[in-house]
Amino acid sequence: MGTAVVIDNISKIYQNNRGVKNLSLEINDGEIFGFLGPNGAGKTTAMKIMVGLMRPDGGDVKINGFSVLSDYENAMKRVGCIIESVTPFAYLTAYENMKLRARYYAGADDARIDTCLAEAGILKYKREKVKNYSLGMKQRIGLALAMLSNPKILILDEPLNGLDVEGMVEMRNLILRLSRENKTTFFISSHLIHDIELTCDKIGLLYDGRLLSVDSTENILKNYSSLENYYLSEVEPSVNS
Amino acid sequence: MSTLRAAYLNELYKLSKKKKITVALLLAVFAVAAASLIIYGVNSFAGIRITGSSEFSVLVLTVLSYTLLPLFTAFVCIAMFSGEFADNTIKSTLTGPAPRIKVFTAKVLAIATFIIADLLLIMLVSVAASVLLNGWTVRMLRVLISYAAAFFPLLIFALLVIAISNTVKGPTGAFMLSVLVFLTFIGLGFAFPGVKSFMFTSNFDWYRLLLGSYINFSKVLRVFLILSGYGIMLFGLGYYLFDKKEF
Repeated sequence: MGTAVVIDNISKIYQNNRGVKNLSLEINDGEIFGFLGPNGAGKTTAMKIMVGLMRPDGGDVKINGFSVLSDYENAMKRVGCIIESVTPFAYLTAYENMKLRARYYAGADDARIDTCLAEAGILKYKREKVKNYSLGMKQRIGLALAMLSNPKILILDEPLNGLDVEGMVEMRNLILRLSRENKTTFFISSHLIHDIELTCDKIGLLYDGRLLSVDSTENILKNYSSLENYYLSEVEPSVNS
Repeated sequence: MSTLRAAYLNELYKLSKKKKITVALLLAVFAVAAASLIIYGVNSFAGIRITGSSEFSVLVLTVLSYTLLPLFTAFVCIAMFSGEFADNTIKSTLTGPAPRIKVFTAKVLAIATFIIADLLLIMLVSVAASVLLNGWTVRMLRVLISYAAAFFPLLIFALLVIAISNTVKGPTGAFMLSVLVFLTFIGLGFAFPGVKSFMFTSNFDWYRLLLGSYINFSKVLRVFLILSGYGIMLFGLGYYLFDKKEF
């Protein structure tokens, strides 16, 4: 099994002294990695560094063997992502937004666009302008955009934001199916512990910018009755120290 | 190369879908039509000849070079940078496979294409107005040279607005500062005639150097080199600021 993502000692400290501190992590091909942590722990900062929206103060991120800092184009060639809120161009339709992204990929024709929109559950709204979409529908466009290149790696920051219960279940099933059928690697952040428990097979716990632990979901659930208990047991010593 | 091409086509597509771009182009046409009617009226009813038909297109260009053309160019630059920063759509562009240098270059190329389209439209309408008013007496080569040369300083101004858009927070602030810098440059040119030739804003009508019966090539070359210097510095500065930006 190869390594899909290598996060090598990245740090990014804001003026308020929050951020990410000396984060190192490896994600193998085909894994569904869950990034857990409270609000402000540094999850989004780490993911922004992973996709080049931010530069770290130190360290590097390699995706599929290519450095995001020095070879962005090759690193991001087979990567899809949703970071924070999805912000497609509101004055364009869903199809037009997809077409903008499709120009970068040789195999992303109209049929592929329709497939992705159908998988995200918004095919019938593809000719509607995005300004009329709800938060959940925008989230679904974000997912369709992320899937368009048939990516080997999907980096999803809070992908369940804005989705109703039905949407959450659909999203979870989609992630599991893509992992099973395409061996897609997932890097997912969420504050919804239950969903991480149901979806991810490896979990990293981030607290106050530091990685507290990384373990497989199977191991964790062998030793704890739920992921919530594990989370609290790992976080409490940090809170008290 | 294919990534840059895709990024360029995307920027052009987004530009073509923005209503304010269509309005800007229509306003330019309206301005030329209004100018031709005024000149026709003054000529016919007051008997004052402001310009001959062959000079009409160049006169229109001279007036618009210092007014509507920089204004529309600033609108487009701000929409493509500050506008996208403000509504966060830039994240959608930057999380694609194109690295920032290609995204930046694609945006600059799209803005350059808009300037060319704007100039072309104004040239065609002004030539058509000349022909309608005075018959076919237009010296097309002079008109073509003027409009082609007018592109260069407008592109330099666009690069200045791009650099400002990457510095100031928000489209309104970027627009206000761009106008202020533009007026300051022009004001400096008037206040200190010694530095006027180094101000790119004094060279919006540099095509006049190419229209006379005697062409001073050394002066043309000097202006060209000054404009090129501005272009290289402002492109570098704009990219540096864009590359350092975090979202």
